[in-house]
Amino acid sequence: MIYSYIKPRKKSIFTEDMQLLVTFFTITLLMLFLTYAFLLYKDYSFTTQKKESLAKQKAVLSHVDKLEGEISKIEEQKNLSEKIFTKNIVLKDSISNLFDLVPVRITLSRAELLENGLILYGITPNKDVYNFMLQAPLRSIFHRTYSSFYPAQNGWLRFVSTNYIDEEEKYIDEK
Amino acid sequence: MKNSISRQHIYLISISLLLFVFVLVFAFGVLIPEGKKYRLQRSDLIKVNKKLHEHEDLESNTMEKLKDLQQKNRTVITAFDMPFNPERFEEQNKKWFSNLTISKVDFSKVEGHFAIYEVNTSSEINSPKSFYDFLDTINKSDWIIGINFPIDFKREGDLIHSSFRMKVYCNNLDTNASTSTSEAK
Repeated sequence: MIYSYIKPRKKSIFTEDMQLLVTFFTITLLMLFLTYAFLLYKDYSFTTQKKESLAKQKAVLSHVDKLEGEISKIEEQKNLSEKIFTKNIVLKDSISNLFDLVPVRITLSRAELLENGLILYGITPNKDVYNFMLQAPLRSIFHRTYSSFYPAQNGWLRFVSTNYIDEEEKYIDEK
Repeated sequence: MKNSISRQHIYLISISLLLFVFVLVFAFGVLIPEGKKYRLQRSDLIKVNKKLHEHEDLESNTMEKLKDLQQKNRTVITAFDMPFNPERFEEQNKKWFSNLTISKVDFSKVEGHFAIYEVNTSSEINSPKSFYDFLDTINKSDWIIGINFPIDFKREGDLIHSSFRMKVYCNNLDTNASTSTSEAK
């Protein structure tokens, strides 16, 4: 006995509405998961890059330290060499000035240049020539000047002139 | 009144609601915090990279400065590295003297990064000018040399006998011996 004129259709849980819904949510969830995966990947990538950058930064800073050490060493060498070269030039000028200081009438036989003094040995025709032409300029340079004379065979006088610069007074003069 | 919502629709609405809630929870609970973290990480990385660039610039500037210094002071750097050779010194400077003798090379002391050696020198010169010329050239020699007191000039016939002390400065290779003064060897 037939109760209906139409054939019974097969019923399924996946109706058209349900299919639409599943498709919509599948796409939505896929997008969400893909975004999440992208964010996770980027997080990992940023962390790795940051680590690399920090390691590189450390290496660069250590290299800069090394370079600065070399620079300071070269500057130290440069300063020391300039100091030594200047000292040599000053020494040359001092010796030159010293010999220029000695008048023609006085003959030196020996000159000892000390750290803070000068000892001259020589021969002079008389005391006046020595006093006016050599001792006077020496007195203006040195703080203490001592002279001693003894006769030479030709009637001239041999002299020993000892001159010192007092370190304390030198310091005050420089100040 | 008869209820018109079918069971099918109830399933549909329930699943929709469930999925919607899941999407909301996932978005607010996971995605948005992760997004914030991503932004922070990105800005952190930009800062770190900026700092790295600054340091790289500093490195390249320092390197340039070092190269410039090395180029300008090549002679001085080489001179400090050169161990003193009395024979070579005599060879180089004998033209200024009638006779030149280097009597002793003594280790004197360590000053900072430098070792100082003392050399006693005796020579004979024709005139003080030879000594001035020697002092002029000493600054261009292969070593860093300072002429030191006492300097003695003594007339001996036509020649002047001169004796003086030289201080030779070179790099102190023994990094442990950085004390200001060491005992002479």
